[in-house]
Amino acid sequence: MRFVDYLAPTNLDSALSAFAGGKWTVLAGGTDFYPARVGHPLTEPVLDISGLDELRGISVTDDAYRIGALTRWADIKAADLPPAFDGLRLAAAEVGGIQVQNAGTIAGNLCNASPAADGIPPLLTLDASVELASQGGQRVVPLSAFLTGYRQIDLQSGELVTAVIVPRQVEEAFSDFQKLGSRSYLVISIVMVATVIAADPEGIISDARIAVGACSPVALRLTELESELRGKHRNDRALQHLPTRHHLDRLAPIDDVRATADYRFGATLTLIRRSLRRFAESA
Amino acid sequence: MKIALTVNGRKVGGELEPRTLLVHYIRENLNLTGTHIGCETSYCGACTVIMDGRPVKSCTVLAVGADGADIMTIEGLARDGQLHPVQEGFWERHGLQCGYCTPGMIMAAVGLLEQNNNPSEDEIRHGIEGNLCRCTGYHNIVKAIEYASAKMRGEQPAPAEWEVTA
Ligand SMILES: Cc1cc2nc3c(=O)[nH]c(=O)nc-3n(C[C@H](O)[C@H](O)[C@H](O)COP(=O)(O)OP(=O)(O)OC[C@H]3O[C@@H](n4cnc5c(N)ncnc54)[C@H](O)[C@@H]3O)c2cc1C
Ligand code: FES
Ligand code: FES
Repeated sequence: MRFVDYLAPTNLDSALSAFAGGKWTVLAGGTDFYPARVGHPLTEPVLDISGLDELRGISVTDDAYRIGALTRWADIKAADLPPAFDGLRLAAAEVGGIQVQNAGTIAGNLCNASPAADGIPPLLTLDASVELASQGGQRVVPLSAFLTGYRQIDLQSGELVTAVIVPRQVEEAFSDFQKLGSRSYLVISIVMVATVIAADPEGIISDARIAVGACSPVALRLTELESELRGKHRNDRALQHLPTRHHLDRLAPIDDVRATADYRFGATLTLIRRSLRRFAESA
Repeated sequence: MKIALTVNGRKVGGELEPRTLLVHYIRENLNLTGTHIGCETSYCGACTVIMDGRPVKSCTVLAVGADGADIMTIEGLARDGQLHPVQEGFWERHGLQCGYCTPGMIMAAVGLLEQNNNPSEDEIRHGIEGNLCRCTGYHNIVKAIEYASAKMRGEQPAPAEWEVTA
């Protein structure tokens, strides 16, 4: 029997040079990797990046938060982050149970690029970018451009995700994450909604960001709804009637075993309304 | 590939096929069959062990990926013939029926109590959401973990429901 190639570099430079020189499958926390390979033996060469400690952890600079690619959900859940990250932390606490949170990484979630990936909507509302490195150099791509389609990402050969970058724009904003599954525990989302809403001291909404996941091949920001919210007072009664069905026109939910498309539309409206109500009550 | 790790305080290791899963290494190479395999899809939690202080699903880790790690399995919990408080809780509060999920459930509970020594019922239910049990309906598992949590804080566990007379 052929032995499987396995490489576990301990620093980024050696990982990138190995990656440039061969065809490898990247393994991080393995929580998407293994379930995708059940029932057939592992045959592809594995580049295990889980030992690249330099890619783990959250740091802050003058203008951005840098979440290392290997930062696990458990680390994010426990991290001391400003209110605008509440949605991301709520999502972290709902990813697949303690064991999966202890292994699964933020970059793995983005690279797997499931329409139901819980990390994606909160990061879209944070205007996050993805930092990529290869032996040839580094580039930074907005998350919305990194996700190119159903389970497709803009990752060139030889490239690793090294970090998720969140600009320091609306740190003190209200932020929420609502996930609907068929039960409370350990489920794939039927719909999830992430919100970041900033209001000035008078209560006027200055910035609103709302992203919906599991209702389109790639999670989407509802830009029309966002611009309608801007300029309104947090207690404006009009908020109680938002959103309406036409705000969801760009979504394209499917019928599947978890729910029908119609149900997903209805659930999305409900989850957004709940988040808006939480926002109104948050002052 | 050569690996060296610590399992239940014992140094183990040797030459290994890189695709060996940690759960197979534990069960077949080390003969520690207390760690169960339920699904091998990273879902059921029966294979939960504690790796460097955190509960993980050992069907979702390559043994070579555990090189250098410190691992605790269900066999490592009891000391000098004394059950660990979580094991005692499962015994005292009937936290198991067929027992298939039990080793993984106990390891998840040990990990939970290490992080939070006084979890609420809701926190316990969230703490074991990565572990499936098809027998008990979870009720007595929650009671078992409440028992252990009281014991580990040095308190008297609440009496069992069947001991309480109206
Ligand atoms: C029981 C269970 C429940 C789950 N529940 C949820 C849930 O509720 N919500 C949710 O969103 N997800 C869930 N997941 C999916 C999974 O846990 C997450 O997507 C996790 O974040 C994946 O990260 P990982 O490090 O384990 O990725 P891996 O499995 O290691 O990798 C995933 C993919 O990304 C690639 N990759 C990883 N890191 C990099 C990198 N730095 N650069 C380039 N490519 C990379 C890999 O090659 C692979 O293709 C669940 C999984 C399980 C097993
Ligand atoms: S056997 Fe590992 S999670 Fe089921
Ligand atoms: S006791 Fe039988 S599966 Fe839990």
